[in-house]
Amino acid sequence: MAARAMQPGPPEEMTIERNDVTTDLSVDIAGVRLANPLMPASGTCGYADEYADFVDLERLGAFVTKSITRQPRAGNDYQRVVETRAGMLNAIGLANVGLEAFLTEKVPLLRRLGVPVFVNVAGTTVEDYVAVAEALEDVDVVRGVELNISCPNVRAGGIQFGTDPEQIRRITGALRSVCRRNILIVKLSPNVTDVTCTAAAAVDAGADALSMINTFTAMAIDVERRRPVLANGTGGLSGPAIRPIAVRMVHEVYEHVARQAGVPIIAMGGIQHARDAVEFLLAGATGLAVGTALFVDPGVLTHLQDGLADYMRRHGFTAVEQVVGAVPVMR
Amino acid sequence: MRTSRGVFAARVAAQRQLCAEHYRLTLSVPGFPASRPGQFIQLLCRPPYASSAPRELTWGPDSPPQLSDPELIDRQTMLRRPISLAGRRDSGDASEIDLIYRVVGTATRWLTGAEPGAELSVLGPLGNGFAPRGAGEAVLIGGGVGIPPLLYLAETLADGGTNVTAIFGARSEGLMPLRVDGAAVPREPAPSPCIADLPPQARAVLTTDDGTLGVAGTASDALLEWLRRREGGAAGLTAYCCGPEPLMRAVADICIERNLPCQLALERYMACGMGTCQSCVVKVRDTNAENGWAYKLCCTDGPVFEAADLLW
Repeated sequence: MAARAMQPGPPEEMTIERNDVTTDLSVDIAGVRLANPLMPASGTCGYADEYADFVDLERLGAFVTKSITRQPRAGNDYQRVVETRAGMLNAIGLANVGLEAFLTEKVPLLRRLGVPVFVNVAGTTVEDYVAVAEALEDVDVVRGVELNISCPNVRAGGIQFGTDPEQIRRITGALRSVCRRNILIVKLSPNVTDVTCTAAAAVDAGADALSMINTFTAMAIDVERRRPVLANGTGGLSGPAIRPIAVRMVHEVYEHVARQAGVPIIAMGGIQHARDAVEFLLAGATGLAVGTALFVDPGVLTHLQDGLADYMRRHGFTAVEQVVGAVPVMR
Repeated sequence: MRTSRGVFAARVAAQRQLCAEHYRLTLSVPGFPASRPGQFIQLLCRPPYASSAPRELTWGPDSPPQLSDPELIDRQTMLRRPISLAGRRDSGDASEIDLIYRVVGTATRWLTGAEPGAELSVLGPLGNGFAPRGAGEAVLIGGGVGIPPLLYLAETLADGGTNVTAIFGARSEGLMPLRVDGAAVPREPAPSPCIADLPPQARAVLTTDDGTLGVAGTASDALLEWLRRREGGAAGLTAYCCGPEPLMRAVADICIERNLPCQLALERYMACGMGTCQSCVVKVRDTNAENGWAYKLCCTDGPVFEAADLLW
């Protein structure tokens, strides 16, 4: 391929075959051991029921549910998604079955997965978040709460909590005292000037792990009809288009906040191929979540595992932790 | 357990341009699960990256993937495109599916260049199909790119002994996605065997908005006139419809007014097709809900809905 021939060749050491070493893909997320770093991003795999036809769910490192709110939510009007260059916009509006139906109808399915489950929790008031997190303390299969304070597609709550360090401190602190058994993962918004400020606020208030990033607030306009394409007006941009920004943000938070604090990062933002997954590990991530690519290829997580193992063998890495943050800091 | 739906490697068996905007694509899909008319597939409208591992980049020691692979090499779409099944043939383990698509953008334009033998990735079959009501008489109302699923349905209905009348419309003669016997096309809503893509016993009325072929007007206008002329009106009939939303709304109104059972295959923008992205919502009557309605998903609850249930 002409485009490839013009690229500089790989450095010499990259060509060394090291198939004799064993490759351990397992990682530790704040005390929860995952068989591998790969998991679906919240909202892209439902509650696992829909994907059973396509994927060996037991091969996932962890399962992350769609956002759960205290009460059921119908979500936004149609149209909710549109494809853009190397990405997509969505404005689903946290449509979900609500806490009660989640506990009675969805948890039994999640129990059968045999992998740790992280439940993404959303709300409009601190009390809402606390009520849901409290109920999840008693669900054995749940090992972590992912605090969604970064949804760009709901009018109240969501991103309002996620862009102000003071609010992040307040809500993370409130959840900290509720999450005794479950680990507390705070999902950060990229819609801020300096993501290390919001990351530091979450860590100061007791977050066990950070997941980053949620989608970028964005907009597409139908120029013929002269109105926004999405019924919600704006939406969240995801997919390969946002990957380089996500990599930069993960690296910044790793260097300035997470490494010193010993807080692991679960990274997401446009991962499609194994090289993208490796890129996030090198930037400083310990866990990896895939969203948009799952819509195209429901089997992508197992392919990424194989690709990651391949990479580690070729480079002589025996454990994922050795790859995490293994790039020089450029300043 | 994984037999009802999945991701399959397909090969292009044949592709033919039907009219100015529509193409008929036949794919050979070994092991494609049982399917029903009204179901659809999600088609990846770009080449799988490598035939051995279709979802991953080639990553050998001497050719590690570069930052620019693959998203900068070509202008390609990312998401799959939902396309309804227009027909299917099985012999032994071999299955062939027919798709009729309209060229509307980057994905479908790329698809027109897929040569026989090319590999494509198919996810499916998805959704609930039509629920045929046994023998009797059926009227199939289709508009434009909504016609293809009704061709598959006509075949299945005819096989089951149902009398099929098709009323198919397009904007103009050059946009009719069908093989038409021009000499046999009636200029009034009196069905005739004028479409080669329908079972031999089926009869059809064709309409064009501009009157260049068949009856001038829309398919819903022709349905009204055909019902008026029909002995017994709507009695003993079941209607099945797919097409642009204005046509489907008109047909739904006509059928509801006459107590004529009517199933509609809807179209929505969707990302996954598997029930997870929650984007393809349809407003449906729900007496259990506080406000009297609920969102259903076009991909897994549909794409076929009863006309009487729809709030659109």
